[in-house]
Order: sequence, then C-alpha cells, then structure tokens
Amino acid sequence: MTHDTTVKVKGYLAVFGALLVLTMVTVGISYLHLPHKIGVPIGLSIAIAKAALVAMFFMHLKGERPMVMWPLGLTVFLFVGLFVSLLLSEADHLFGSRFVDAFH
Amino acid sequence: MEIPYTTHARPDTGLTNPKLGIWLFLASEVMLFGSLFSSYALLRSGATTWPQQSDVLSVPLAALNTVVLIASSVTMVLAWASLKNKSVERYRLFMGLTILGGAIFLVVKTIEYSEKFSHHLYPATSNFLGLYFTLTGLHALHVIVGMIVNGYLWGPGVKMWRTEPERFTNRIEVAGIYWHFVDVVWIFLFPVLYLL
Repeated sequence: MTHDTTVKVKGYLAVFGALLVLTMVTVGISYLHLPHKIGVPIGLSIAIAKAALVAMFFMHLKGERPMVMWPLGLTVFLFVGLFVSLLLSEADHLFGSRFVDAFH
Repeated sequence: MEIPYTTHARPDTGLTNPKLGIWLFLASEVMLFGSLFSSYALLRSGATTWPQQSDVLSVPLAALNTVVLIASSVTMVLAWASLKNKSVERYRLFMGLTILGGAIFLVVKTIEYSEKFSHHLYPATSNFLGLYFTLTGLHALHVIVGMIVNGYLWGPGVKMWRTEPERFTNRIEVAGIYWHFVDVVWIFLFPVLYLL
C-alpha cells in the first residue's frame, strides 16, 4: 500500500515538473513576438498539452469509465460547434468568403 | 436522505454517483467558459485595433499565478493520495497548502486588479479589458467557491474520515476534480489574455 502511493506521488511530481517546463516554454516563446499565424497555434497547442496532462493524471481521466467519456466528448463537440459556427457566421472575413453566401 | 452509490459504483453507469455528478457539472462549466472564450475570439477577430495584451497586463504576475495554481493542483492530488495511504495528518497538511495556494492566487489577482483601477482601466474602458475582467472575474469566483468547499473538507468536514473513510476519500477526489478544472481554465486564460 505504502509502496503503491509512493509510486503515485512520484508520477504526480513528474507531471508537476512537465507543467512547469511547459509554462516556462510558453512564456519564453511569447517574448520572441512571433507573428500571430505562428504564435497563436503554438501557444494554444502548449495550453492544450498542459490541460491534457492535468485532465489525464490529476483528474484521473486516464482509464476513466465510458460514462464519463461520452458526456465529455459530446461537450467538446458542442463547444467546438459553438466556437466555429460563431466565427463562420460573424467573422467570415477570416475565411475569405461569406458563410451566408452558401445559403443564397 | 441517504445518497446512494457514494462508495460503490452504480452497476449501470460504472461510476459512483458523485463522480458522474461532478463530470456532468463540469461539462456545463465547459459551455459556460466556452461561450465567453467564443465571445473573446469573435470580438478580437472583428476588431480593427487590439492592444498588445502583454503591454496592458502584467505577464510576470500572471506567470507567478500560473505556477501557484498548478502547485495547488499538485497538493490537492497529494491530499487525496494521502487519504488513500490512510494518513489523515498528511491529508490535512496538503489540503491546507491547497487552500493557501488559492489564497495566494486571489491576493495576486487583487494586486493586478488594483493596479488596473489605479490607472483608470476598467471593464468599460475597452473590449479587451471588458473580456479580461469578465473572464478572470468569473474564474476568480470559481477559485473562491473551491476554497470554501476545500475549507469545509479541511475543517469540520474531516470528521467523516472517522466514520466513513472511503466515502470521505471519494469526496476529496470529487472536490479535486473541480479544483483541477479551475486550474485547466487558468491554463487557457493565461496565454489567451496575457501572451497571444
């Protein structure tokens, strides 16, 4: 029992180390003042990686039951849908064409 | 009223009821913050000018707060691991550190807010500041709620450990899942509001 918990604690501390390194990387990159087209995808990718580490290990999502995964999967789908549909309909200049034109 | 399935998984879901409950609640939280993140993307993409965010806000203070919140997530999971190892003393130490982390985060946030106000920068000043105060304010509210729950579980709530240790350990896991979610939200807020 003691042994098991010791192993667990080591794993959590390793995740802590990884999160600190990723935080330093994301701050460091921001000082390079990269153009948005490169900087934004890099910054968001690092944030997604950090969030995945927290979710998988601290929130015990790794190996969690399907009954947790299904509602979460649906939520991610709905969130992406909300995000993309809003940008497509209202910020269509980003994509070079008007989304509404498709319906004419 | 007795809440069923707090220690044993319900056969049809494969989960304890509190765990299913916290994940469904967090799913709704994703949509709450998601709508605000979507508003941010929409307003920023449609703006003719947008400030260099790192010039308006303090990156060092936010980076410090990122480290503080991540550290408090680690102590939260260690608090749960301590109960798994049957050590309520270590649990109280780590839970205390988790609450302290939340308190430090709020102090730093207060310093940031006061500095903005002293320079006459308010939510109404610009779209960016409106989004900044709304997103970080809602997030800080979540930190406060988490501290209240964790404070109860550190103090009066710990007596459950003597009568129902397994149920109490599950409570800490569920409170932890919420606390880690608050950390995850900040992991996105930090680059989006301060760095990009």
